[in-house]
Amino acid sequence: MNKLLLKLAITAVAGSLLSSNPMIGQVSPTTPKTARVRIIQGPELELAKEHLTIIRWTTNNPGGSPVHYGIVRYGTDPKNLSQTAKSPIRLNPDHSSTIFRVRMDDLKPQTTYYYTVGSMGADGTDDGTKSTVKQFRCTR
Amino acid sequence: MKRTTLLGTLVIFAAVVGALFLPYGPVSALGTPVPPYNPYPTGILPPDLGSEIARVRREVVSIENEALTQWQALTPPTLTGQPPTLQGTGQRANQLLGKLMNFDENISPFKNRACGFCHMPYAGFSGPIPSVNLTMIAYPGSVEFRAGKRTPQRYTYSPFFPILNYNETQGLFFGGNFWDSRATGYLLGSPDAEQAQHPPVDTQEHALPDTACIAFRLSTAAYKPLFETVWGAGSFNISFPADTEQICDTPGGASMLGGSATPIALTPEDRTKANNVFDHWGNSLDQYEASPDVSAFSSKFDAFTKGTYTLTKDEAAGFQLFNGKGNCNSCHVDGRGTTSTVLNPGFNPDHSKTASTTPKFTCFGSANEGLPLNPRDAIYYQNTPDSFGFTANPDGFAFRDLGMGSFLRGVAAPNPNSNWTPFAPTVDGQMQVSSARNVAMTPPQCPTTEAGLTPYFQKEFFHNGYIKSLKQLVHFYNTRDLYPYNVTSGHCPTGTIEKVTCWPMPEVKNNIDMTTGKLGLTDREEDQIVAFLETLTDGFTRPYPDRDTFTGACMTCNPATDPNCSPARQGNGSLIPTPPLPPCGSDICGVPPVPSPPIP
Repeated sequence: MNKLLLKLAITAVAGSLLSSNPMIGQVSPTTPKTARVRIIQGPELELAKEHLTIIRWTTNNPGGSPVHYGIVRYGTDPKNLSQTAKSPIRLNPDHSSTIFRVRMDDLKPQTTYYYTVGSMGADGTDDGTKSTVKQFRCTR
Repeated sequence: MKRTTLLGTLVIFAAVVGALFLPYGPVSALGTPVPPYNPYPTGILPPDLGSEIARVRREVVSIENEALTQWQALTPPTLTGQPPTLQGTGQRANQLLGKLMNFDENISPFKNRACGFCHMPYAGFSGPIPSVNLTMIAYPGSVEFRAGKRTPQRYTYSPFFPILNYNETQGLFFGGNFWDSRATGYLLGSPDAEQAQHPPVDTQEHALPDTACIAFRLSTAAYKPLFETVWGAGSFNISFPADTEQICDTPGGASMLGGSATPIALTPEDRTKANNVFDHWGNSLDQYEASPDVSAFSSKFDAFTKGTYTLTKDEAAGFQLFNGKGNCNSCHVDGRGTTSTVLNPGFNPDHSKTASTTPKFTCFGSANEGLPLNPRDAIYYQNTPDSFGFTANPDGFAFRDLGMGSFLRGVAAPNPNSNWTPFAPTVDGQMQVSSARNVAMTPPQCPTTEAGLTPYFQKEFFHNGYIKSLKQLVHFYNTRDLYPYNVTSGHCPTGTIEKVTCWPMPEVKNNIDMTTGKLGLTDREEDQIVAFLETLTDGFTRPYPDRDTFTGACMTCNPATDPNCSPARQGNGSLIPTPPLPPCGSDICGVPPVPSPPIP
């Protein structure tokens, strides 16, 4: 517990030093973490071509690390989503919502895939969101 | 002082006379022409390359002469205090020293390349040759026509990048200089100062074979007294061996150097002195680049933040899109909030939250934007040895530019922090997020970057110069994932137009930033963002130094007769088909920790 408090204090001091230094004042800030991140739109298929599939969804702004990863866990068996794709996006601290988009390259054609989505900060902190299992079919 | 003035006058005279008789190609110390290195198929080198090189060299010499005059006119600073400080004009003296170094052609084996050759003020201190920007994208070095692999990054605001560091709290890298951040700042405390140390000894740029050559050449510079004023008398008390001139006349990478990084045989004490001079070279150049001569904060946007300029309707709309729908400021941090309390068009003053009054328009991070491989990049063709036995890129088209990933693996440059190496796969393909300031700067007589009836100056954008106009740049961010095709550049399907309704596959598919790619901007909204980007050009509140030094010709075209005469299609007439690509070279993609997933 004391270690946690010490870590928090160091973080706060470091944060105040960062924000007071004009030379590095514009480094993307770590913003307050949202208490509960929820999907407010999607997930949905944005693009499905023979070489590229993009899954897209929107959450409230999760806060935290300025770079987040959208994560898609997928597979051809809805009970075994063994593959993972993830793509980075940058949070905009002044936007209330955040759009996650994940690329999946070189999927098999004429194949139905099942997937769930979630997200995490570049620091490894999971946002705690997970969609229901959805599906899409690769064309051609 | 009188002696200094006489010396300076003589040197200016010699420089002016020399400028009138500049040779078109490099000449060795013995006066014999250096055979050109030309491994390029027809059409890769622009036809006006020789005359354009000569033109830029004349401009470089002209600015060097101006700097010499500025130095002569400067009241000398006096050293006083404890710690000793150059009182009065000390800072300006250091900045002028940096300027003199920046435009000094002697810092190259054949005394034909200055830093400014690739970084001229009228282009925002980026590439000054329109035809090079349109075609080979990388600039020919002292050995003509060796060339690098990337576009010259703008100097402006580069001194504000922090020392490269891995922020464990955020899980991200920040800072450094260069597209791949390899100038870390770990030694001099300034990435920009360390950046200035690389090109003089880069085999495809200035190509000096030993960092001690910088000290050697400076020891005979006209402005040597200024160097000694700033950095101390006796800085050049180095016993250079008799063969130093011969070695410094030999370009780096030459087989006769036997692969040595320090071919000049100096005593350890003299090597340390030469290293100090080399460090001060970086320090002074950094001071010049940080000065108002380069990083001026004199744009329309700066006036706007002070309430002395009202954005036009399109500029204001572009600013709101930059912050909002375009989401540009998630990376090109503008120091402003997105929630303006005044919603009327052309809002002035800006009432949004203010984080910084002098925003740098970068987050100091890196990103992979998924640019296609540009087959016009000169690097792909340099896979045979030149007359010095040097081969820049044995991989040919098996070369892949992994950006920061290759740096962290120690492939592109030594990595000074082995703790960073495991992160290489997470940054493959990432390039530094440049400041958006001065992205639109052009010579005054060619007032735009965008092709059309108005005289324009052809620039190149991103690390590989694939994008040729700001309209294309914004359109790329807007539609990369709307028009993706599984082809390489030059092979878009019939019925599509490359860069308009077809974006070829990314060179590096790993770690592609998905913040952008499908923004839903209309054509007019794209134009409005371009209009806003143009407000970031310095020189509005006061003249931008040396912006008027361009002596070349502006470009014009007629949209009624030229299908490429539009910002959207700019440069499409120069597209060439990408050849079948061999797999990524093992010396790049096979170095652990290997890219994940593998890069084809």
